[in-house]
Amino acid sequence: MVARPNIHVKSKVAIVGAGLTLFRRRMLETPRELAWEAARMALEQAGLTLRDIDCVVVGSAPDAFDGVHMKGEYLADGAGGIGRPTVRVFVGGGTGVFVPIAAWWHVASGLCRSVLAVAEEKMSPAHPHPQGVFAYIWDPILERPLGPNLIWIFALEMRRYMYKCNVPKETIAKVSVKNKRNALDHPAAQAAAKITVEDVLKSEVLVWPVQRLDISPVSDGAAALVMVNENEARRVTDSPVWVEGVGWTLDNTHWYNRELAYPRYVNYAARMAYKMAGIERPWKEIDVAEPYDPFDYKELHHIEGLMLARRCEAPKLLEEGWFDRDGELPTSPSGGLLGVGNPIAAAGLMKVAEIFWQLRYEAGARQVKKPVHKGVAQAWGDLMQAATVVVLGV
Amino acid sequence: MGEPRLPGTYLKEKEMYQLPGIVEHRPDAKYSFSAGQAVSRFLEGLKQGRILGKRCPRCGRVYVPPRSYCEYCFAPTAEWVEVSGEGEVNTAVVSYISTFRERLEEPEIIAVIRLYAPGYTGKKDEYEFPGIFHKLCGVKPEDVMSGRVIGMRVRPRWKPPERRVGSITDIECFEPVEG
Amino acid sequence: MAWSMWWKEARRIYKFPGKMEVEKYVYTPGLHGLEAARKLKEEGKFVGTKCGDTIYYPPTTFCPDFSEGGLAEVRGPWRVAAFTVIRETMEGERLEKPIVVALIVPDDAVGGIIHYVDVDPDKIYIGMEVEPVLKPREERKGNPVEDIVHFKPKIEEGEG
Repeated sequence: MVARPNIHVKSKVAIVGAGLTLFRRRMLETPRELAWEAARMALEQAGLTLRDIDCVVVGSAPDAFDGVHMKGEYLADGAGGIGRPTVRVFVGGGTGVFVPIAAWWHVASGLCRSVLAVAEEKMSPAHPHPQGVFAYIWDPILERPLGPNLIWIFALEMRRYMYKCNVPKETIAKVSVKNKRNALDHPAAQAAAKITVEDVLKSEVLVWPVQRLDISPVSDGAAALVMVNENEARRVTDSPVWVEGVGWTLDNTHWYNRELAYPRYVNYAARMAYKMAGIERPWKEIDVAEPYDPFDYKELHHIEGLMLARRCEAPKLLEEGWFDRDGELPTSPSGGLLGVGNPIAAAGLMKVAEIFWQLRYEAGARQVKKPVHKGVAQAWGDLMQAATVVVLGV
Repeated sequence: MGEPRLPGTYLKEKEMYQLPGIVEHRPDAKYSFSAGQAVSRFLEGLKQGRILGKRCPRCGRVYVPPRSYCEYCFAPTAEWVEVSGEGEVNTAVVSYISTFRERLEEPEIIAVIRLYAPGYTGKKDEYEFPGIFHKLCGVKPEDVMSGRVIGMRVRPRWKPPERRVGSITDIECFEPVEG
Repeated sequence: MAWSMWWKEARRIYKFPGKMEVEKYVYTPGLHGLEAARKLKEEGKFVGTKCGDTIYYPPTTFCPDFSEGGLAEVRGPWRVAAFTVIRETMEGERLEKPIVVALIVPDDAVGGIIHYVDVDPDKIYIGMEVEPVLKPREERKGNPVEDIVHFKPKIEEGEG
């Protein structure tokens, strides 16, 4: 079932710069201004200018959030795409990590020497709440007549996971506590906080078992990476971070005909990326991870899908502090979506940027304690369907 | 990260509305969704108080709700099957909010029900199964929280025939099978 | 069963209505956009983004080379660069007074604005000099499309 990609590439691909805007509930900047701010910062960090860029990859989630159709075209000038081969990619919540995957094949194929990879999301234009846009995720015939709320599907998955793996709510809440604490050191953070398990359990119950503090916030924001081929990388930096593996998978939309306790699509995508990276024992070989955490239980779910823990083992390791910043395998040292914020596509790319900074030892107060050589970032999207995985190494 | 101060200008909701130059627009997009062949037949079945599925002639997978094709074999799923409607609760939750996040007076219980299908070749623990997404009645929120409902045997509670229209809501909810 | 037969099974294809459940979108003006909105609302002046010797209108904040632009006033004169005349409604009914819509470009900037021109459709031509007719100050919101009532041909003094 695992895809076997052609790994005979024309060139290795490196990340040489990353940029971010603040993540906030609503911002003054237009979507293209946010894209520009992140892209400009990434170029500056790489020591390059827009003139050095061959191709552009833009990522953004549904048009109905920004309230602008054909967002790829709309964002093109702010992403540096004018007059260049430019493409917009979209796989729901998985988009943020799909952006560097698409940028990777632009460079690995030999087509482009350098790619500006930009992800932007502005969720604040939709009123009264972006929830109205999420309603269109549901099947209009078999699901929407029941009057669903988006949180239902997460609650159902979380409950199933709790049942299958016998995990108490208290343990899951610890992910939220960890990530919001980690985010205190992140300059972009929107929802950083020192909270306790008690606080999570006392927060408003929305759809039991999901409570207010189990969920990441609604955000505006942008992120960007500069990705180049091996020659360019050697020219512009002494510390390139290599994209060693990429993987992505799509499952079907029939989420209630599937076992929700385990994300097989994440596992397939991870196996594809690990195979390319020559990783056989990810739980030992990966030093730092950014699994996608729009909800706290999802981080545990994805840790297992990424084979960083055995099935149902992630909660136990979490309890032991395994995933803390000074633990054996730090996860979401950035603070993740729960702490930094969730401008959908930008949040996924922020996770890749975090691994980039971690592997360059540039994460400052967020730098994990152990030595790091390899990291993995992952995002998930759609109706428990899409998985995107990137393995980075130095 | 080299840059201590990141770009971006936060606005409070009030501030946003006071800005000169903001533009508001009210979309008015209306849609009409077609249920397609297989699901239309399924809806016809619901109107008659029957739950229908389709079986793949190659691999034997049973699809409830039905699909016109088997996604694994990429073959048309020729044969219709009827299931009893009885099944087991796979997962269930308690919703305290409406679609638009207003507090509900009475919480609703939402579930995924794994349906018993005749001749289904899958093992009990297999990743995929015929199933339905619906509401549960006759159980309490505490039963969801304690886990008592998971694995519980349930069956559909139908609306009276004259009120059925060919919709998933022709089933009022799923309720526990007595005894 | 052959694919060609399989569609004959349902007696009726069910349809379900849907409606986008977004009440409204609120678009913020952006960085230079906010400055331009203030200037238009308060002083009735137009502001663009200046990059080197070129002014871009509407303001973009950033320049094509990705540097940050400056603010600069756009003074015009404004000219018709392209136009179209609407004589019927969407339903095909004849309009009493045709509507003239034009792309209007200022001489001193790159870019422009699409707006109505209050002119006899037979007299408009490409290159015609026009000027904006603004709503009174207290009615202006800072958004040029709403704040301009329409453009009108500029009549040189002494000609009229």
